[in-house]
Amino acid sequence: MECKTIQALLESYLDNELARADARALEAHIDSCAECSALLTRLDALRRALRDGDLRYAAPTELRARIAASATSPESTDGGTSPVRILTANPSVRPRRTPAPWLRYAAACVLAFGAGSVSMALWNASPANTQSQLTRDLYASHWRALVANSPVDVVSSDRHTVKPWFAGKVAQAPVVRDFAEQGFALVGGRIDYVGAQRVPVLVYRHGQHLIDVFVLAGESATIGSASLSQGYRLEPIKLGDEFAAVVSDMDQTEFTRFAQLLAVK
Amino acid sequence: MSPATTSWIDALAQQHLDAAYNLGRWLLGNEADASDAVHDAYLRAVRAAHTYAGGNARAWWLAIVRNCCLARLAARKREVPLPDGFDSSKVTPLRSADNEVEDRACAAQQTARIAAELRALPAEFRETLVLREIEDLSYREIADVLGVPIGTVMSRLARGRALLQRALGSGAGEHKYGM
Repeated sequence: MECKTIQALLESYLDNELARADARALEAHIDSCAECSALLTRLDALRRALRDGDLRYAAPTELRARIAASATSPESTDGGTSPVRILTANPSVRPRRTPAPWLRYAAACVLAFGAGSVSMALWNASPANTQSQLTRDLYASHWRALVANSPVDVVSSDRHTVKPWFAGKVAQAPVVRDFAEQGFALVGGRIDYVGAQRVPVLVYRHGQHLIDVFVLAGESATIGSASLSQGYRLEPIKLGDEFAAVVSDMDQTEFTRFAQLLAVK
Repeated sequence: MSPATTSWIDALAQQHLDAAYNLGRWLLGNEADASDAVHDAYLRAVRAAHTYAGGNARAWWLAIVRNCCLARLAARKREVPLPDGFDSSKVTPLRSADNEVEDRACAAQQTARIAAELRALPAEFRETLVLREIEDLSYREIADVLGVPIGTVMSRLARGRALLQRALGSGAGEHKYGM
């Protein structure tokens, strides 16, 4: 992997959110790259400062008592037969983490503390703020899914499994169809946030391309037209009668073909 | 509503009371407001118990706590117009507290500085860092608490960490920070 890719994954790695294979690849790179290693060391120093700094406020005893009192009085209908509530003390001490496994890699490297401004440069690379919040959320969700252990929460190529899985989690379960015969195989589904809304996401695969179909409840107006960002394409489409948005790195013609399949009622 | 239907809320609130209070304390800046907000949250959770639709209960509870904190922040803003709309009153005493410990051990000073800088961060980055680093929530849980996409959680964490690193690196105790 290249430094740029590695640096985008450093925080997910430290936060334990990286798939095992990616984590191994990252460690191998850190082993041989002083620059990425120094960035990781800086991040870890900050994390340890935050975690070891005893920054957690424990709830005051009065608050515990107040909540226990509310718990037994207004809601109680059985004449207060149990006025005493046994409180389970919640120790505010968290188990100390053992040092991250990469430390042994880092220890072997020469650390350059002077070169501090590198991480800020990553910030200026973010896309221009011309996209709507909704569009940015959709791209972010897709990229996040690509980085995650698995892009789906329910893995199934069977639409009869995917649809019921959604039914308990969002207001309206979307129409789920498989287009494996046409080259777009159903992989599964997940729930993600777009703005403050939980939306169902249908996940398909076309060759090496992962395709996210976000089923939006009449919200797609703010997407406007199709857009491109960092090699990924977003298009508003119709999923039967519902509005949806497709995000993937497929090319234009494949996009159009897929959109036509989805539009069929 | 009978006690039986909401007793799980009592257990939930008690189990994650420190987490709730810690979040409130970092968002609101003082003990009284944080305690009131958590108490509000408890009452609201009891009323809203039927709306809980499965999923991570801790995240559901902390989301309610956070909403109660934001309501208090909004009310505070209406009552006392601050110049920049943000908690500057909370930062000043902490900076002076920071001075008082200057001749103490290095570690205590470091902690005070980090606390002061974390407190000085804009609320969106502060709350995300508190949930990640102090409460040890996963990206998914934080997304549920804040009601934002995971991608936003990641970018807020990255931005918050970069701001903290810069603030800590450029302060007076520069030589203290690092390894």
